Amino acid sequence: MNREHLRSLFTTKSARVETNRGEAYYARLYEQCKARLEELKKIEPLRKISIKEILEDEGVSRRDFLKWASATTAMLMLPSSFTPLVAEAAELMTRVPVIWIELQDCAGNSEAFIRSDGPKVDDIILEIISLEFQETLMAAAGHQAEAQLEDAMEHFKGKYLLFVEGAIPVGPGREWCTIGASGETFEEHLKRVAKDAAAIVAVGTCATFGGVPAAAPNPTGAVGVMDIVNDKPIINIPACPANPANMVGVILHYVLTGQIPELDSLLRPKFAFGYRIHDNCERRAHFDAGEFVEEWGDEGAKNNFCLYKMGCKGPMTFNNCSIVRYNESVNWPIGSGHGCIGCSEPGFWDKYAYERPMADANIKMAPGGGVEKSVDEFGLGLLTAAGVGIAIHAAASAIAGKKSEGEE
Amino acid sequence: MRIELLEKIEGEAFLKFQKDKKIITDVKVIFPHYRGIEEILRGRNPWDALVINPRICGICGHAHLQATAMVLESIFQITITQKAQKIREITRFCEIIQNHIKWFYLVIFHELGILYDFTKVHHLIITINKLLALFSGQWPHSSYCVIGGVTCDPTSFEIYQAKTLIRQIKDQFIQLIGELHDPLNLTNDLQKLYHTLQEKELLLVGKSHDRFITFSQDSHVSNIKLLHGQKRKTKLTLIEENEQKRSYAKNVTYNGKYYETGPLARLMQQTDPFIRYFHRRFKDSITTRIIARIYEVSLLIEKIIDHLATIDLSQPSVVESKMQDGTAIISIEAARGSLIHQATIHQGKIETYNIITPTQWNLSNGTSQNPSVIQKAIIGTSDEKIANLIFRSFDICSVCTTH
Ligand code: SF4
Ligand code: SF4
Repeated sequence: MNREHLRSLFTTKSARVETNRGEAYYARLYEQCKARLEELKKIEPLRKISIKEILEDEGVSRRDFLKWASATTAMLMLPSSFTPLVAEAAELMTRVPVIWIELQDCAGNSEAFIRSDGPKVDDIILEIISLEFQETLMAAAGHQAEAQLEDAMEHFKGKYLLFVEGAIPVGPGREWCTIGASGETFEEHLKRVAKDAAAIVAVGTCATFGGVPAAAPNPTGAVGVMDIVNDKPIINIPACPANPANMVGVILHYVLTGQIPELDSLLRPKFAFGYRIHDNCERRAHFDAGEFVEEWGDEGAKNNFCLYKMGCKGPMTFNNCSIVRYNESVNWPIGSGHGCIGCSEPGFWDKYAYERPMADANIKMAPGGGVEKSVDEFGLGLLTAAGVGIAIHAAASAIAGKKSEGEE
Repeated sequence: MRIELLEKIEGEAFLKFQKDKKIITDVKVIFPHYRGIEEILRGRNPWDALVINPRICGICGHAHLQATAMVLESIFQITITQKAQKIREITRFCEIIQNHIKWFYLVIFHELGILYDFTKVHHLIITINKLLALFSGQWPHSSYCVIGGVTCDPTSFEIYQAKTLIRQIKDQFIQLIGELHDPLNLTNDLQKLYHTLQEKELLLVGKSHDRFITFSQDSHVSNIKLLHGQKRKTKLTLIEENEQKRSYAKNVTYNGKYYETGPLARLMQQTDPFIRYFHRRFKDSITTRIIARIYEVSLLIEKIIDHLATIDLSQPSVVESKMQDGTAIISIEAARGSLIHQATIHQGKIETYNIITPTQWNLSNGTSQNPSVIQKAIIGTSDEKIANLIFRSFDICSVCTTH
């Protein structure tokens, strides 16, 4: 395929994000956020911790904190006039209870979350959010932990944000995974805990699209949260693992506005998934110049050329890792010389997660899911936002989508 | 019979106790989860395993990634360069270090009710992850490791950054845990741990068979089994894996016997006076097991310093590879012990892929005549809380085990 063709394929107007919605819109939103924060201030904090004190204790100055707030405001795609509100929202994080459950997973998101990197302020904020239930972090275990979950659900009925990590097996024949001494299946468990949640945040590709357990032949019949729960707002934060910065972003947005952020058709927050990796990649200039790594470890690799020919899925992957990066922004996958593996896209395992250039990929077919074979189809399918072979629950998407658009 | 549900491990597990009067006479470990990764791998291109296998575990994904590369390199008959080898060890050792620290505080300190400075611990873990990410792109779940080597191509600038970070890690570690030179003179958090175990009269609980095994070979360990103090080389062909009823974890034995794997097994190979001191006094009790895990951190920090000083940047990061059919079995040290990957490639496709995780070695279910490591350690205890602590002293990982 010639380069002109490649270029035109990847530079068409893809799912553009609206970063400027006009003054009237933001003025209204500003007032709404202010009112929301006033309401929150009246609520007793769930934890008696003052973020100011902790920040001071940690040697973070007011100036550093405001710098963080302005960066976060930008990440949430809000005008800079919102910075003081974001700072205030951070201080009110102790008012929103969070319950975190793990299903069919590898614990990778918990790991990413509890070691949340990003600027230091993010760590502190994660320490003060009111995590009412999280297996790895909390003191209780076993039966005691089960009791704690019941308490939290009862006490914060209708108010808690439910974070779900891991897929849900619904395959026939065997009870693949159970939880607790009662032997409740994951599906039953999720439905029960979801019932009284204010909104659900599915973190990681397993919880959003089924992830690794759902790869063909999907031995356990794994599905994502949105395939099970269809009467609640759901926010998907895919990726493997999800970037902690996006998890914090969602919570912060919820504290600030009382609503879930604006979502795309796959229920992903647009502030994080509005752009492709390729749009902000540090190797993009090499792509445009036609300079590619042709073999692992070749001269091109030494010179940080574009990894497209080594199978980079950056052009088809919507995510903000090229901007936010990982582990205190030290690096990200493409920085270490390996292409993007498209871990935040549906069908990650069967459509994306192979290491060879896409043009000659021989892909294992997902049961019931068609798989594009050539670069053209791959790119075009996604760019026209039509070829994504995934069944989304229309109901969930409509509810969540409408809510965020209508109210914001 | 009482069923004790356990969490605060990675995933979930149950202990089923059988008691006579107050004494625990039998215990069974049950893992109720399953994902079917070995089935998912079947029929795929071998390169796919490099992307799927790290997702077996969010905590030791590097070990799984490297094990996958190694087993395929073994089949394709590829030898990687010293440079790639050192980078892989640096990242894997970092992963082990941060696992140990997290386990020490989040599991053991929580369990024993000892207070600690969360923020300091958190910062130490973050610094380790920064060093990791320098080479691997991110943590957890990175993809920098491919068949034939690693994709990152560090310059002396990254090596310099890494040296600065490892110095910080060493300082922060010593600040938390204390200097680990003199077993008679423990300080800081390690002293806190020791005193708590002493006060609660737990120093001698949790002794098992005193048999150890490591199957891997790297700059830190050798493939050695230790039986009655006798060292022998291991043969991977003597491993036997069996399915169990009512649990998704498989039992695993070496020549019909259950062996303990993990940091204590690794350190028992060496004549290190620090860990020998504890082993002489407390044998393979929880005390020695816990201290071994934290002591290993100090050894691995030194290894990383050494690797950073001796790495030869002029070598290639990746050597060329050509796919071949064949079978291989390899072992690599993960945080919790020897991890084994076995694969058969037929006509360019994965025909079978088998994974044996460290937790399977320590937490199999044996019989009363031939109890497993965990069973031997728990049977005879009179308190379920203590049994739990013994269980956790192995740093169990259920997500790995129930791949
Ligand atoms: S999405 Fe990836 S990181 Fe997350 S639980 Fe699944 S396999 Fe682990
Ligand atoms: S490395 Fe990947 S994301 Fe970056 S420019 Fe090349 S194709 Fe695009």
